Amino acid sequence: MSSPALLFQALRWRVFRNSLTIVLAQSWWRVATILFSCALIWAFLFALSWYGFHELKTSPQWRIPLEGSLVERVFDAFFLTLTILLTFSTGIILYSSLFAAAESQFLLSMPIPDDQVFSYKFQGAVAFSSWAFVLLGSPVLLAYGIEIPGGAPWFYYAALPLFFLGFLMIPGSAGAIACLFIVNLLPRHRKHLVIGLCILIVLTSCIWAGLWLKQVREVGFGARTWFESLLSEVSFLGSSLVPFHWMARGVRHAALGQADLMAYNLGLVWSYGLFSYLVTVWLAKKFYRSGFNRLASGGALRKRYDGHWLDDLLVWPLFFVDAQTRMLIIKDFRTFRRDPAQWAQVLIFIGIGSLYFLMMRRYYEQDIGRSFKIGISILTLTATSFLMCAYTGRFIYPMLSLEGKKFWILGLLPLDRSQLLIGKFVFSAVGCLFAGEFLIVFSNLMLGMSWLILCAHALAVALMALGLSGLSVGLGACMPNFRETDPSKIAVGFGGTVNLIAGLMFLALVIVTVAGPIQFLHGRDAERAVPLDTVPWFIWAGIVGGVVISGTATWLPMRAGMRSLKAMEF
Amino acid sequence: MIELIHVSKKYGNKLAVNDLDLTIRKGELFAFLGPNGAGKTTTIKMLCGLLFPSEGSIRIAGFDLETAGKDARQHVSYVPDTPFLYEKLTGRELLQFVADMYGMPKDHGTRRIDAMIDLFSLGTFVDDLTQNYSHGMRQRTVFASALLHEPMVLIVDEPTVGLDPLGIRLLKDVLRNETKRGATVFLSTHSLDVAQELSDRIGVIHQGRLIGCGNLDDLRQCADLNGTLEEVFLKMTDEDQTPEDAFTAAARQ
Repeated sequence: MSSPALLFQALRWRVFRNSLTIVLAQSWWRVATILFSCALIWAFLFALSWYGFHELKTSPQWRIPLEGSLVERVFDAFFLTLTILLTFSTGIILYSSLFAAAESQFLLSMPIPDDQVFSYKFQGAVAFSSWAFVLLGSPVLLAYGIEIPGGAPWFYYAALPLFFLGFLMIPGSAGAIACLFIVNLLPRHRKHLVIGLCILIVLTSCIWAGLWLKQVREVGFGARTWFESLLSEVSFLGSSLVPFHWMARGVRHAALGQADLMAYNLGLVWSYGLFSYLVTVWLAKKFYRSGFNRLASGGALRKRYDGHWLDDLLVWPLFFVDAQTRMLIIKDFRTFRRDPAQWAQVLIFIGIGSLYFLMMRRYYEQDIGRSFKIGISILTLTATSFLMCAYTGRFIYPMLSLEGKKFWILGLLPLDRSQLLIGKFVFSAVGCLFAGEFLIVFSNLMLGMSWLILCAHALAVALMALGLSGLSVGLGACMPNFRETDPSKIAVGFGGTVNLIAGLMFLALVIVTVAGPIQFLHGRDAERAVPLDTVPWFIWAGIVGGVVISGTATWLPMRAGMRSLKAMEF
Repeated sequence: MIELIHVSKKYGNKLAVNDLDLTIRKGELFAFLGPNGAGKTTTIKMLCGLLFPSEGSIRIAGFDLETAGKDARQHVSYVPDTPFLYEKLTGRELLQFVADMYGMPKDHGTRRIDAMIDLFSLGTFVDDLTQNYSHGMRQRTVFASALLHEPMVLIVDEPTVGLDPLGIRLLKDVLRNETKRGATVFLSTHSLDVAQELSDRIGVIHQGRLIGCGNLDDLRQCADLNGTLEEVFLKMTDEDQTPEDAFTAAARQ
């Protein structure tokens, strides 16, 4: 006989081993592709961080001592951001894992202590929410260790995983306590309330950060002075009572070879992490099952759903598609808007976008050079395209897979299966076009860009909206995952990763071909606006090239997706 | 073995189960019938400790489910209408996990697993991943895991859905044998023939109230109708007749 904790570990190991065996037996290249993609992203971040630290250290403009307390402030901000993100992501993952998963019901009907079930779920949620952050954080810290004068000692590299492991328990526990608190104490319509609160907090944080950065901007973007001013604004982060500061301090001491101070901070992180974990588990022992009961029986047995004005609003821009396809699009939209977990994430995207534009506003108002403004407009185009890529990858790609078990309804309807894909394509493209064009036209007008640049950027966004929609819908039909019901897991699977990489490559191509020549033209003569009648040939060639690339990215995956869908048996 | 003492359950303002007072003896097979939305699954979830009564209390094998839930659940097995299986485990690995979670000694656990594999004829697929199982295979595997630790109380929700005639025959034999062993079976079903054939007593729930309880003759008296179980059930749960009317009529009988 073993303790439930050991049995859960054994269960986790068996599930992992069996999954790996299946994937390797069926398509080892899928694993290789995912690993290669992760390695590529990691290497890019490492190179970027290395370059950044090197510039900070050696550039005459900056001359920041990497071993000094200024860098510690940077790490303070870095670990504070990690704390906030991990708290939210762990809380959201735990909410669905503890209270909505069929496994929870199975485990809670067995004679297993509630705190043991909770611990098992908690570990899974922390691992799932933190792996990406570790992937993104580790290259920064490794680059710091290499670039610090004299190089960091060996124990710096050995201690990094220990710091991360201890630290993850703190935001994870905070998210879990918030989750238990919300489920047990808040009134009805908790799902909406929880997600609303999360969005409110994220948006408030974004606006606060934006205002703060705006204030910092008053000092002027001028290398060291700006950097020091920025850090003086975050001096409050350096309180010795907050865990993210122990992380920042510990990492710096480790890099400087101060083993005793490193061990002291590592001890603080671990003791605080373990303590918060114990408190969380103790709370779960008391409140997990009662929360499960409260959530299951808190609302009405049946809820009446009516039409919504948003559905009617969507009909208007879809005048050009036939009635059947329009109804398919409305069906997808209804499914989307009735799932708070889906639209809440879109709102977070909007929050991130708002933050970006809030930060950029200062540039619109300031009398800055034309070449700098053109650079900002390219940056805005890139940011908008990334947002569209994230949206299509996360929400559009999984749409066909999610039809899986319900496909018999659509499959028996008197319509061509290709209409399904066209409906999803139109749904995606219309959404991307409206949001993307609004952002790009608005920002270009604010920056006072010429009509040539505005039109070229608007065209680039339109091409990207079509191409990304074609890629996501087409590849979604080529590589469906009908077993999975969680869209976020479909999006991070093999097909989702391929779609993401293809999308990023496509974006890079469109930006280089459509916006690149204009950047080149203004690079030659930055202060002169080019009249339309003297537009050089390479601009037109770039536009034609962009149209061809977008057409290819739309048509090929859509055609492959339609063929795959028609050949599919259900 | 199972005691529901004036149990009520509310979902918001809606009363899903209304003052359910019921005792089921050791070794009894109790069939729980009712139309869709009558409160059957809510009652079952309360019996498993997944939901708590808004009023009243539930005791399993003498243990109160709210204050001594772990002890009570040690004696209970639950087979839900949509059974959960770990898709990336084999049937044998799932059975081993359940045996370990119920604290069965290793040798005894292995013997019981082999016995369950024989009983439910799992041998041909027990070492395949459960993600490849058909509905019938899944149902048999879930029953095997539920009976592995020889529970004193077996709670079964809609077990016959999707089973072929052979599977239903096997299920009936298993349930009968369980009661012979001394286990109490709480069977929620829409299959009236299964309920009539197997049960010692039948309870009929309608709009949250237990409107009839007893053997077929008792129910006939309740419904004031000398017909088949189907006719009796349809009359008792007639939408034109309120549960209060049915309850009053039953009490009068």
